[in-house]
Amino acid sequence: MKIELTAVEKYYNRGAPNQVHALRTVDLSITSNETVCIHGPSGSGKSTLLAILGGIIGPTSGSAVVDGRKLARLPDRFLTLYRQQHIGFIFQRFRLIPELSVVENVTLPLLPLGIRPAERKRRGWDLLKRLEIGHRGDFLAAEISGGELQRAAVARALINDPSIIVADEPTAHLDTRLSEDFLSIMAELKDLGKTIIIASHDPLVSGNPIVDRCLYLRDGRLTAVPGPQ
Amino acid sequence: MAARYLDRQLNIADYALGGLTRRLGKNLVVVLVFALVIFMVASFSMTTTSLKHAASQLLTTVPDITVQKMSAGRQVGFSTEAIKELEFIFGIRSVQPRVWGYYFDENNGANYTVIGVTELGDKTQLAGLGIDFLPNLKTDAAFEPAVIGRGVRENLGLGNRRAFSLFRPDLSLKSFVTSATFDAETSMVTDDLIIMDLKAARDLFGLQADEITDLLVDVANPLEIDNIADNIGERLKGVRVVTRERIGKTYRVAFGWRSGFGLACLFGAVAAFFIFAWDKASGLTPAQQQEIAILKVLGWQTEDIITLRFWESVIISISAFGLGYLAAWIHLLFFNGLLFRPVLLGWSVVKPPLSLVPVFSFADLLIIFSLSVLPYLAATVIPAWHSATIRPDSVI
Repeated sequence: MKIELTAVEKYYNRGAPNQVHALRTVDLSITSNETVCIHGPSGSGKSTLLAILGGIIGPTSGSAVVDGRKLARLPDRFLTLYRQQHIGFIFQRFRLIPELSVVENVTLPLLPLGIRPAERKRRGWDLLKRLEIGHRGDFLAAEISGGELQRAAVARALINDPSIIVADEPTAHLDTRLSEDFLSIMAELKDLGKTIIIASHDPLVSGNPIVDRCLYLRDGRLTAVPGPQ
Repeated sequence: MAARYLDRQLNIADYALGGLTRRLGKNLVVVLVFALVIFMVASFSMTTTSLKHAASQLLTTVPDITVQKMSAGRQVGFSTEAIKELEFIFGIRSVQPRVWGYYFDENNGANYTVIGVTELGDKTQLAGLGIDFLPNLKTDAAFEPAVIGRGVRENLGLGNRRAFSLFRPDLSLKSFVTSATFDAETSMVTDDLIIMDLKAARDLFGLQADEITDLLVDVANPLEIDNIADNIGERLKGVRVVTRERIGKTYRVAFGWRSGFGLACLFGAVAAFFIFAWDKASGLTPAQQQEIAILKVLGWQTEDIITLRFWESVIISISAFGLGYLAAWIHLLFFNGLLFRPVLLGWSVVKPPLSLVPVFSFADLLIIFSLSVLPYLAATVIPAWHSATIRPDSVI
């Protein structure tokens, strides 16, 4: 799936005293199966850019086109459908619901699709086993370690078999070994043909061989920096 | 398509149930408070229905006209001579003397209603009481036959025995043999009842040979009951003439305004609960807001979140309704409407006394359901719209 952002601007609280100009004339093109790392300091607009790419919010102006569809013009209902079918989102703090079991968290995106419980569980357990945390499936999310949380979050992002993986600072709260584990999972996904967009200021991510291209975001402006090809 | 829609609803309902159990303590309080409100309304409504039913049942056993002698505002005995005064009133089919009194059983602390009639088994005097006659039992002539209620039989501890004795005012014993019992369906009015021959009743209470407490008048044309009652009042001075219609009216008046007033008070409590429910549904904790935002990022539509809230409300309200309604039945069945009976009957004693049996009324059930579950759904699902529109990016 090809992603094209053209002259994207994003304001929060526009016209109000607390107005924030999060993105400034961002042009970006990401091709299918490409792995892109967006890095930059905190508050530079990385999360906003990911939210636009992930169809969570629309730009204030400019266009965001995914596979020929203009996201900005899609009503909320169709944006949600777009996320449901094409996007797997990995949050910064993983955002699993602590009172649910790991497998219940992983299968959450399947509930509104009308997938029956047996099929949901089968898919959830398959993914957890693939990511080597099958033994933690029945544990509550609050009871598992940081590394296991991260794998569970990846499993949840993959449950709908999305074509685009969007990850927001996925290694920010992990040690080096767990960060490397995460990147090896991303490498496997890249081999499966997924497009991966990672926002991170972790040099371990930006310097990883799976990254095709690194982009630098500062004060909402995007500049290309050479990636370690 | 329909199957997928149903599966989606089941999935979300299942998730809603899980969510409620995750916050069990908080939701249990809501269910219990709501159940209490439904219990009060349902209990009040059921007690009213049962009392009305009991009154209507009782009226089937009441004669067209009852004549009682009054002195200083109290009922006193009088002579059967009065029957002669009524024989010439056109339209009266029959006049039967009766002795009606109460017997206190000191051993058991029970109070029995004793009725003496001219003939045991007489259709006019015992109509509607559902008597199961027992085979004749050869006994001493001193044993008077009596028809007894189930409660009397239990209190006297008769078991399979049929003979029993009661004390006269001079403490000598008078013996009876059970000739029949009342069937279970009429236990509401016959539980504490002993019916015997008129002479035996006079003997038991120590009355004069021709003394009675009531005259039961059977009228040929029901449309003439009021006229005949007036006529009796003119012929017999110092008597109280009570028609069946007047007894019914007394009950209706007694229950009518009291049940209306009571329900008005209770609906105040219902309204207060719905305001509380609305307020609760309008405000979400940060954890709940975050959960909604996560679900939306994961592909849940706004309508899915509203559906989730809807199922949560359905589960809470149906549970509370079931619990409250069941409690109301138990209250009526085992506690005889203890809480609301005094409100409906007043503290004065209605004679003959009413005992309650639950009467299932589908209309009552529907009204209580409509006035509890449906408003709760409205009070919780409408504000849920606001919470469902939380922006998904708030979680990033």
